[in-house]
Amino acid sequence: MTKVAELPDLNRPGNGLLVPLFRFQSLFGLVLVFIAAVVFSPTRRGELVFLDSGNLFNVVRSMSEIGILAVGMTLVVLIGGIDLSVGSVLGLASVGVAVLLTGPGFGLVPAVLLVLAIGLGFGLLQGFAITSFGIQAFIVTLAGMQIARGLARIWSGGQGVSITYGGGPGQAPVVFSLLGERTFNGLVPIPALIFAVVAVLAVVLLRVSAFSRHVYAVGGNEKAARLSGVPVKRVKIIVFGLCGLLAALAGIVHAGQLNFGGPNDGAMYELDAIAAVVIGGTSLMGGRGSVVGTVAGALLVGVLRNILALRNVDANVQLLVIGLVIVLAASLQRMRPASVS
Amino acid sequence: MRNSRALAVAGACLLLAACGTTSENSGTPGAQGAPSSCGPDGQYTIGMSQANVAEPYRQRMDDDIRAAAAAVPQFTVNFADAAQDNSKQVEQVDNFLTQQIDLLIISPNEATPLTAPVKRAYDKGIPVLVLDRKVDGEAYTSFIGADNVDIGRQAGEYYKNVLLPEGGKIGELRGLAGSTPAKERHDGFVQGIAGSDIEIVAAQDGDWLRDKGQQQADAILKANPDIQAIYSHNDPMGEGARIAAADAGRGDLPITGIDGLPIESGGLKAVEQGRLSATFIYPTGGAEAIDTAERILIDCGQVPKTQTLPTKLITQANAAETYAELNNGS
Repeated sequence: MTKVAELPDLNRPGNGLLVPLFRFQSLFGLVLVFIAAVVFSPTRRGELVFLDSGNLFNVVRSMSEIGILAVGMTLVVLIGGIDLSVGSVLGLASVGVAVLLTGPGFGLVPAVLLVLAIGLGFGLLQGFAITSFGIQAFIVTLAGMQIARGLARIWSGGQGVSITYGGGPGQAPVVFSLLGERTFNGLVPIPALIFAVVAVLAVVLLRVSAFSRHVYAVGGNEKAARLSGVPVKRVKIIVFGLCGLLAALAGIVHAGQLNFGGPNDGAMYELDAIAAVVIGGTSLMGGRGSVVGTVAGALLVGVLRNILALRNVDANVQLLVIGLVIVLAASLQRMRPASVS
Repeated sequence: MRNSRALAVAGACLLLAACGTTSENSGTPGAQGAPSSCGPDGQYTIGMSQANVAEPYRQRMDDDIRAAAAAVPQFTVNFADAAQDNSKQVEQVDNFLTQQIDLLIISPNEATPLTAPVKRAYDKGIPVLVLDRKVDGEAYTSFIGADNVDIGRQAGEYYKNVLLPEGGKIGELRGLAGSTPAKERHDGFVQGIAGSDIEIVAAQDGDWLRDKGQQQADAILKANPDIQAIYSHNDPMGEGARIAAADAGRGDLPITGIDGLPIESGGLKAVEQGRLSATFIYPTGGAEAIDTAERILIDCGQVPKTQTLPTKLITQANAAETYAELNNGS
């Protein structure tokens, strides 16, 4: 835990060499894992399979949903919270958008906006429950995880909702299928673009706005933040709202990629998102960390999973490797405060 | 700090090197679903994308494939596990395409989400064998699986004709809500008992799991102590229900399952030892898949678009015999 007075140092880039090194530990980790993937890549006709551009974009696409969730999770973790509901909200949103698009009366834009609003509302409610009733975020969002899953199953009638495209009744607008497509010569997957936009917006939000200082202040020392006039309650509610909003966005992307709204989809995604945040160097104690780190953390997991799969490593061993990486990242984080301050 | 990280990464790399195998197989894309090359002299890499190996049924499917492929020296099979996640399975199929496998076997987690990646493979000229659960459309080479509606119907007819010919109240333990087999095994069963006096008075989701089956059967028996049997959508939930029934002083309550896995903890043993009254074999299709792959890749032959595997009613009369048969056959 740091004092509020120290926060600006961590917040501003370029304060000596050690600070960025630790702050972006996952970026260096990503580079190392990337190099390892290149070294161990299978080859075909003298070319490295891993570096094939199609494969690299597969990696980004495969992590884009987790990445979007992890960006929202970063904000929550920065204020010293946790959100276990994001996987279920993703499932709820995927069902919601599938039902609305294949049912009568909803155009693409209203359907997407309504689902985003549901995610936002769900998050705001959780934030409200946490701040107003003084219940821990872990517990409120644990309940939220069950509630969102239940809602998803009720809304879908207990069945996955398939999405077909066209102009007829019961068909979704063809535009929505773009989420499963690639752009720029069929190379860059749309979900990866959305992930990139979300990440950039979050980085900007955490760099330039007054809101950013509030987030780091609340996470660093809530009491001090309150005493110095930060609207702690409002900041917390907004952060949980944003996290819910991003979970809904990830759910929409999920449904578009799979042409399917699955009431059971997104299970355990909250843990993958938390893993990306932790590997990204954000402290679960709150107050320190960055979205850039989280993005690198998500990509690191993606590259690792990809190279393990390309080498046909047994699925159970893959779990071990990723578990070890999480422990490693967390222990690096433990060493950080002493060295930096 | 950087050193320790580098060390650990080096460790992870060692692990990679130790476990990895290189697939050097390549082929140029051919026509839809037709192999680019075939014949007995080639070496073929098969990608097997499994929905979830945590389920014993699917583990057995992988084992059946492994055992059958071991007898074909030309085949190397790479296994992947999607851990019940549609997105992860899409990623796996893409990875297999990156590896340029010669044939894809897939047991999809759900139909619609896997349709697009399966079509991608098929359009690239990779033969695709779909196991257990269909994908949408026609972009695959052959579907191998049993018919869950038919199995449910046969179970219903067994209740109607053998177990409760006079009719009666029963409980139902359903599979995971939202999953296709849970719906089909229910729908078929309702068709099977149509016209009889059998009434499903309680139905709960047991999520395919033994412990959840036990809890739900507990509740069903509390609320409806007069039920005369429990129809479980799979064997593990039925085993759980058996514990609940014994606990409620109904040790002799007839309980039936589905799957009949020929493993030590499977339904065949449960029927043989009297914990389940009956079960219905739900074949994995693993051996049939490798057989089909041989016909495509080695014999350069044609295969039927749909191969429906028969189920079989298992009672105490044939449980032990079937167990032996299924474990020596493969």
